[in-house]
Amino acid sequence: MLSIPTAIWEDMIAHARSLDPNECCGMLAGRADDNDVTKQYRITNILATLHETELARFDQAKLADLQQLSPEERADIAFQMDAHELSQAQKDMRHHGLTLKAFYHSHTFSPARPSNTDIKIAMEFESYRAILNLPQPLHVIISLEKKAHPVILAWRIHDSQATEVSVERR
Amino acid sequence: MITIRIPTPLRPMTGGKSEIEGKGNSIGELIEQLNIAHPGLKDRICDERGEIRRFINIYLNEEDIRFLTGKDTPVKDGDAVSIVPAIAGGSHD
Repeated sequence: MLSIPTAIWEDMIAHARSLDPNECCGMLAGRADDNDVTKQYRITNILATLHETELARFDQAKLADLQQLSPEERADIAFQMDAHELSQAQKDMRHHGLTLKAFYHSHTFSPARPSNTDIKIAMEFESYRAILNLPQPLHVIISLEKKAHPVILAWRIHDSQATEVSVERR
Repeated sequence: MITIRIPTPLRPMTGGKSEIEGKGNSIGELIEQLNIAHPGLKDRICDERGEIRRFINIYLNEEDIRFLTGKDTPVKDGDAVSIVPAIAGGSHD
């Protein structure tokens, strides 16, 4: 369960729309002892700036899709968070006594369900998360498949399975 | 020795190992030393200016080195260094 204030809910949609058809990405934080998101961090999707040799984390199928596109177009079908901004967000969360509740990103042409790539990379992240003692984040997806009717869903990704988690706008 | 945790995308360069060991007085020295045993590893972690690539975080134990002194961060025997690519994903496929 995740409870997102209207201002952050709307800003995630605004973020997704401002970069459409590129995917946006960011982080949601809140206190460890409840389900409320209290802070949002927009993070830059740096995928378009990466050289082909820097795309090695994507599996062969996704890589083949990415290689058919120009660097600018690659950000339409994938995202890569800026690690420096991610660090700054983590530092800010710590400073404010907050914890990471969720990563978010947009799907500009497809439903608000985790893709195979999302699941694979989330599982990769899980293996680091445990040893780094970080909380398990949910994955929030904003779909702009129907441009006038954005859909926001939240997912828990565990054992390579995505399970929908209820998300409310408050 | 210092333990270095290798992320999945870099494991082909370490013979599939998820952890390797290294020596050095700083993160920067450690990366240089690892590149001798695993040629090309440095290029995957650092850009052409020698800076940590923009999609990679390096943690010393549980602390991001960007909160410490970056590549100059001192390391010592028994430390664990984790190389962690920032989260990524893609649209539905």
